[in-house]
Amino acid sequence: MKKALRFIRSMRFGILLLVLIALCSVVGSLIPQDKAVSWYAQNYGSLHGVILMLRLHRIFQSWYFIALLVLLCLNLTLCSLVRIVSVVRDRRRVVARTAALPDQVRLSAEGVQRLRRHLEDIRCRRETIGEAEVYRKNAVGRYGSFLIHLSILLVVLFGAAALYLPQVVDRTCLPGESVVMDDGTEISVDAFHIEDVTGRLDYSSRIRIRLPDGRNSEWVDIRVNHPLAFGSWKVYQQTYGTAGSVTVTNLADGGSDDFTLTDTALLSLDGASGLWYEAVYPDYLLDPSGNMTLVTSTTGRYEHPVYQVLLASDGNLRPILVFPGEELEAGGLRFRFNEPIEYPGLRIKRTPTVINALLIASFVLMLVGLYIAFFMPPVLIKTDAEGYAVGGLKPEGMRIKLDELLQEYRREE
Amino acid sequence: MRTLFIVTIILYAAAVILQFTGTAFKKERLLKLSWLVFLAAFAVHLLFTIVRGVAAKRIPLSNQFEFANAFAWGVALMLIVIRRRLKADWLSVAAMPMALLILTYAALQPMEIRDLMPALRSAWFGIHIGSAVLSYAAFVLAGSVGLRYVLLARRNGAEEESRLRQMDYLSYRLVAFGFLFLTVVILSGAIWAEQAWSAFWTWDPKEVWALITWIIYAVYLHLRLRGKRRGAAMAWYLVVAVPVVLFTFAGVNTLLPGLHSYG
Ligand code: HEM
Repeated sequence: MKKALRFIRSMRFGILLLVLIALCSVVGSLIPQDKAVSWYAQNYGSLHGVILMLRLHRIFQSWYFIALLVLLCLNLTLCSLVRIVSVVRDRRRVVARTAALPDQVRLSAEGVQRLRRHLEDIRCRRETIGEAEVYRKNAVGRYGSFLIHLSILLVVLFGAAALYLPQVVDRTCLPGESVVMDDGTEISVDAFHIEDVTGRLDYSSRIRIRLPDGRNSEWVDIRVNHPLAFGSWKVYQQTYGTAGSVTVTNLADGGSDDFTLTDTALLSLDGASGLWYEAVYPDYLLDPSGNMTLVTSTTGRYEHPVYQVLLASDGNLRPILVFPGEELEAGGLRFRFNEPIEYPGLRIKRTPTVINALLIASFVLMLVGLYIAFFMPPVLIKTDAEGYAVGGLKPEGMRIKLDELLQEYRREE
Repeated sequence: MRTLFIVTIILYAAAVILQFTGTAFKKERLLKLSWLVFLAAFAVHLLFTIVRGVAAKRIPLSNQFEFANAFAWGVALMLIVIRRRLKADWLSVAAMPMALLILTYAALQPMEIRDLMPALRSAWFGIHIGSAVLSYAAFVLAGSVGLRYVLLARRNGAEEESRLRQMDYLSYRLVAFGFLFLTVVILSGAIWAEQAWSAFWTWDPKEVWALITWIIYAVYLHLRLRGKRRGAAMAWYLVVAVPVVLFTFAGVNTLLPGLHSYG
């Protein structure tokens, strides 16, 4: 039991876990993830059974990958705890222990003086213990690796929360309309455009969030990299679509209405004759004999939009292509085709705000820990009348630096 | 502007050839000349990068060409700093060809200046990609030091012993520097991804390979801490890790599809 516990908190086990996590990651990057089962059957032939059985197609969600992460957290917790306890307990003893070290390098009296001057120049603190003078600096460096490991734990925990707690939905919304969420929060879209004033592609929506308690955000232009965050909501400019716009006039009474159409629809008084709206296309090509081919997709705005509709009258359907500005009549209605309307697809995310803040604080902690561990190594140097010794947890860097200094000094001599 | 780039490559290539000849025939003067040519290459390279940034009206780091260009420049810069600070002239033989190799890769990429795509217009762009340049350059140099170590370790005398210890420590420092900046890359990338795509982490292949690289160097740091494995084994480790860094940098975009395929 004791042996097992010692293994679980050992660095060897930690390294093993890291290697296994890296191997799973390699597999997860080589096999495209999260596709339909049939896709793997098509692309991997007889291997697809193995892929599905071992869950290699959703490896980052598989039980064994999550188990590796949980074990890593356990290992990190135990190993950091054991270590920090001894590092803190030892914090006073290290100075005395350094003072008791035998000299590693012998120096002349003048050499010792020069070394001491150098150590004072690099702002080491001095402490006299018996015959020895101990110089030290960067005591905080002892805690760098603890901060790193603590922050890794926090990043895994808060990261998991930030990935799995939010509710995310994608909604389209026509300009001038709103989407209402389950809790009554209302997200309104005032306008949407695809290009900025200079004609550069820049998908942007002007939106506002109103919380159930009546608080409103400002009207804000959201675009990629610039979502609107308000309360626990965050709204992203995600995609866009283009809707048909048709003004319908009742020929009998002159009343008229505007319709914005994103799907096929029948516009009719009696449910039989009228207009079947099919789609609007961005552009068309004409071949030399005058035949028209519709362009079905584009990035950016629709250059020469074309409506595809079916005119329903007297029991038959007639397919027609119409340009904006044109009109058709059927079933006692007049249909005027307008310029199509661009509308945004919004990604709406709800997260407890505190999770993101905690996650980002853990990021900062990790960077601070790394900086301290790497760039503020603790310095502990014992000097006496005959030479010096370098002590502490990470003596290597200082030993090399003093070696170089010594060589320079000898060269000067 | 193209001319500046071509001059840069020619100068680096000349420096590498002089370095090799100088090393092979033990001619001090050739080595000195090689270093001067290298410094000239570096200066022209910097000039080219600035001119390109001014022409594009942004930091020139947005596609494979620009990134590779900056990566090679980063390797050259670090080589210069290390040679100055540590008098580590021996590093040039391995590090100069690395800079040339990466710049040659850049030369094979489409070079025209294009408008920044909307997803890249962000304050995080400079931090994320600038850190990647520094981090990858440090790892590549650590690999170069590793290579020198392995070659030198074949001989064993007292003088070599102390040189080897310095090399081992230098490669550790480079890994530490690279590791810190790779962490900045990953964390700033996560924050940026949340701003742009709503999720901190999506297991996109580029993210996954950055994580794999991070783990590889974390394992190096720990193996080294365990103390038993200093020396040639650790130097080999760093040499073998370089292809992984290069794959994360270039291979992922071309071989594995994902959100980071910006051309
Ligand atoms: C993702 C995982 C990990 C990362 C990124 C990481 C990173 C680091 C870094 C950067 C250092 C400082 C190294 C140096 O100053 O040279 C370090 C030290 C250390 N790590 Fe880790 N580590 C990880 C996991 C672990 C695990 C799982 C264990 C143990 C069981 C562990 C045990 C240690 C120990 C004992 C030290 C030395 C502490 C010291 O010198 O004060 N690490 N780690």
